[in-house]
Amino acid sequence: MLVSIQGLTAALPPGADRPLAIDDVSLDIAANEIVCIVGESGSGKSMTAHAVMGLLPRGVAVTGGRILFDGADLLQDSPEAMRKRRGRDIAMIFQDPMTALNPVVAIGRQVTEQIRAHRAISEREARQQVVDLLSQVGLNDAVVLLSAYPHQLSGGQRQRVMIAMALSLSPRLLIADEPTTALDVTTQAQILKLIKKIQTERQMSVLFITHDFGVVADMADRVAVMRLGQVLENGVVAQILERPAHSYTRALIAAVPKGACAPLDSAEGGPLVEVRGLSKTFRRGGLFSSRGAVTVVDDVSLTLNRGETLGIVGESGSGKSTLARCVIRLLEPDSGAVLFDGADIAKMKSGQLRPLRRRIQMVFQDHHSSLNPRQRIGDIITAGPRAYGENKAAVLARAADILGLVGLNLESLDRFPHEFSGGQRQRIGLARALMLRPDVLIADEPVSALDVTVQAQVLKLLDDVRRKMNLAMLFITHDMRVAAEVCHRVMVMRNGKVLESGPTHTLFSAPASDYTKSLLAAIPGRGRL
Amino acid sequence: MNRLHYIGKRLVMTALVTFAVILLSFFMIRLAPGDAATVMAGQAGFADEAFMKTLRAEYGLDQPLPVQLWKYLGAVAQGDLGSSYVRRQPVLAVILERLPNTLLLDAFALVAAIAGGVWLGGIAAQRPGSAGDGVVTTLSMLFYAIPQFWLGMMAVLVFAVWLNWLPPFGIETMGADNTGLARAGDVALHMILPGTTLALYYMASYVRLTRVAMIEVAEQDFVKTARAKGISERQVVRRHILRNALIPLVTYAGLQASILVGGSVLVENVFSWPGVGTLAYEAVTGRDNPLLLGIFIVTSVLVSLFNLVTDIAYSLVDPRVELG
Amino acid sequence: MIRFARIFFAKPATILVFAAFIAIVVTALAAPLLFARGPFTIVGMPLLPPGAPGLLAGSDVLGRDMAVALAYGARISLLVGVASTIGAVGIGVLLGAVAGYYGGLMDELLMRVTEFFQIIPSFVLLMVLVAFLQPSLGSTVIGIALISWPQVARVVRGEFLSLKGREFVQAARTLGMRDSRIILTQILPNALPLILVVGSMMVGSAILTESALSFLGLGDPNLLSWGSMIGGARSAMWVAWWTSVLPGLAIMATVLSLNFIGDRLNDTLNPRRQR
Repeated sequence: MLVSIQGLTAALPPGADRPLAIDDVSLDIAANEIVCIVGESGSGKSMTAHAVMGLLPRGVAVTGGRILFDGADLLQDSPEAMRKRRGRDIAMIFQDPMTALNPVVAIGRQVTEQIRAHRAISEREARQQVVDLLSQVGLNDAVVLLSAYPHQLSGGQRQRVMIAMALSLSPRLLIADEPTTALDVTTQAQILKLIKKIQTERQMSVLFITHDFGVVADMADRVAVMRLGQVLENGVVAQILERPAHSYTRALIAAVPKGACAPLDSAEGGPLVEVRGLSKTFRRGGLFSSRGAVTVVDDVSLTLNRGETLGIVGESGSGKSTLARCVIRLLEPDSGAVLFDGADIAKMKSGQLRPLRRRIQMVFQDHHSSLNPRQRIGDIITAGPRAYGENKAAVLARAADILGLVGLNLESLDRFPHEFSGGQRQRIGLARALMLRPDVLIADEPVSALDVTVQAQVLKLLDDVRRKMNLAMLFITHDMRVAAEVCHRVMVMRNGKVLESGPTHTLFSAPASDYTKSLLAAIPGRGRL
Repeated sequence: MNRLHYIGKRLVMTALVTFAVILLSFFMIRLAPGDAATVMAGQAGFADEAFMKTLRAEYGLDQPLPVQLWKYLGAVAQGDLGSSYVRRQPVLAVILERLPNTLLLDAFALVAAIAGGVWLGGIAAQRPGSAGDGVVTTLSMLFYAIPQFWLGMMAVLVFAVWLNWLPPFGIETMGADNTGLARAGDVALHMILPGTTLALYYMASYVRLTRVAMIEVAEQDFVKTARAKGISERQVVRRHILRNALIPLVTYAGLQASILVGGSVLVENVFSWPGVGTLAYEAVTGRDNPLLLGIFIVTSVLVSLFNLVTDIAYSLVDPRVELG
Repeated sequence: MIRFARIFFAKPATILVFAAFIAIVVTALAAPLLFARGPFTIVGMPLLPPGAPGLLAGSDVLGRDMAVALAYGARISLLVGVASTIGAVGIGVLLGAVAGYYGGLMDELLMRVTEFFQIIPSFVLLMVLVAFLQPSLGSTVIGIALISWPQVARVVRGEFLSLKGREFVQAARTLGMRDSRIILTQILPNALPLILVVGSMMVGSAILTESALSFLGLGDPNLLSWGSMIGGARSAMWVAWWTSVLPGLAIMATVLSLNFIGDRLNDTLNPRRQR
């Protein structure tokens, strides 16, 4: 065994939601294998990785157990000895490569710094090594990149730099803490492939932290499933995926959207929203300067029928969210028409728009910021009807109904948003939208910020609500798997343009554009779950 | 390219500030009760209506406002800030004579404040909540609440009157006629009390700023990356934490300069430092409005030039400037 | 409210500082009742030290009771501090809110103006303003408010801009709420803590600025303030330390307690500072 974690326990500072961050965790990592720790937020998976690295956050302290690295207990190492191990024996890459790189130091310098901290070589020699490393991780123009700064690189390039840095001293263990979570799906696929390739070439061990069973299926030799600081089960990947012993593991795997098209009731109803040639351009810079314009939505047309869910799928920068915000007039479209029930609302004055507004509602992505932290739930969900001057008693009665519909109890009315979990807050956001009895619901990445088990519940709720209230739903997502589960039709966007659209099943089985094909191919764990 | 663009924008801003200051001064003159003619007539000792009229015509005060403004702008552009009522000399000459003394004092205070503030703030940020942090934060809070002019008087009382360690007033020993190094040493000795008094208040704000910035930066992901590389803690602090924490301080130094000038008016007065600040006081007591306005214009232009310098420095230390 | 009080008074020193501040405010309010004869009455020999019969804090250069002068000085300091802050916060919040919420030309203009005020030496501008308007209580308050509002506007604008982008505000728009209602019910309640903190800090700095003006003889000539007391005591500093030391301590205690309270408010109300 290269690494053997035995009975590792670490305490959280007093006042946290539970006493132990890591509770009696035991885990082995053999040489030349990839071990995945999978779990939802708060499972202690990331803490475990940080403990191995000797980088637990301030206030979290190891209270028991051993971490044997090649036979030596890392917990007995002096701080100086542990520092010398970091980067040389054990290297780590992080979730968000943008924040993980120092914004004001050139890339080359950030890598040479690590090499020179452990080896007595000159800056010039170190730079030569960095050029080699950067090409090894698939970065062309390595020499130019040396003097570039992190903000000048794309997300994928930044993560490649992080990997090059981690590899610079040929460590025996690479810890990857959710290394692809902040990346687009096609980039994710490339980075996963790169990590796998390097692991094989260099015969390294990798401790890979993830929340995504799809990624586990693609990457792992062995898997440990964690929840609330404890390892629930632990075994080779095939066994865990096919014969999970623990009910929680089964639930986790079941909750992963499989990208298989769920049978939905056929939607029949005429067109409700028709978007024709909609464009939106953002001008950057202020009064004294304009640094060019970026067309974020470029001549997009779509039709949304009564009772159907239309998915808009794309990676970051595809313009899908901007499109949604133009349809609901949170942003002013520059050109084009948005016909809602026959009336063009794209250029309507706010007085005219107001009576129509209540018929199109929206559910947002970020459950932290989508509810006013200073208002009670009762005030939040009745604000809409009250803005239209509806009778208070009738509004309250309806609030009770709607709360029941989204699966919350009546006591919620008097509580504040921070008293609820992420999934519950998403339900409250949905309730707020439904209070106005809309015809159209725009859902902007409604489950992206949620844990996978909660995600499945909210998706099901959205589909139930759509059916019961005969809603037309515009469903914005970056996740093909999620789109497959709830959408009747899907539209793929890239760089502001629509690449293709069609019934979900057709589009998934016979994609027309290469881009859609690559999106589908990039789905982690495809065919293995 | 982007940096040039940025610097160009700052240049435009500096020019605009200068223009706005002159505009403001012009309207300030209009705002004062009675025009220049009344004042001069008052000084001449008689105020016969015909004489006033000649005076107004002579100074162009009977012309329409835009014409007057245009003439004023032209005059200021040529360095003509009018003449001092009291001293009967061109305002600019009077100010320029005193300016070097003020620049010396302010530069000393700014450097001392930044150096001391960053050092102490850094110490406090190393262990937030420790005893050392407590002492530094409390002291900075204290100096932030003490009126500068009073602090100066107390310094005179303690170090000059009671202890007799340092000279209390002036820029050099009267009648000593020192030259060369001896004179420099004498001036330095005289500068200790006013310079420190001026510096302490700004040091207090630098301490607070450095402390907060370093604590914030220390929590960023890239600091974790730096530790994961296995570089020494010293390098982590110097190259990663301090380097990033100091960037906002560069801009802040520019903004501080304008406040420093205000403080310098007070401190110069307490210590009879023969600079622009004492001149401003003389202008106020002598109701010498042209001189006071001249001081406002000159100090504003100087401070905005200094801001231009810090802005350029900022664009050199922060590669992300093109995003701003 | 109880929760607020518990966090606010979590540091033991807070209670002490708060009590001191209340004492200063009470003294200021009660001065005319306690010392009906006013601060200008000559009560005895000049420059009597503190503790001389009937003179708790001694007498000043003209033989006036220092204790009375200190109590009346508190009135001026607090009045100017609070009045100019109300003015500055009023203008700043209004303009900052409009600029932050609507953006566009108004925002661009406001940013340039605040930048202008940040760059020019505002104390010199204040001296010019007060000198040209003639020194008086009114011109002091107006002058300080005029040089302070851009700071408030900048902060409020930033806060409005950030809150405007939050999804709950966007949700309010999709619900069909009117702008005025969104500003008043959604954004302002969330921006209020920050405004309160900035305001409390500003009272302290306004008091310092007022004392500096009075020290330079640019205060209201008909009123006795702490700053003018120190200014008047310059010649006596060598022989009668109390004439300058006591009013200085009074300013320091007031500003210190205000800043401390502002700091505590910040720790209590500002969610970004809670860690």
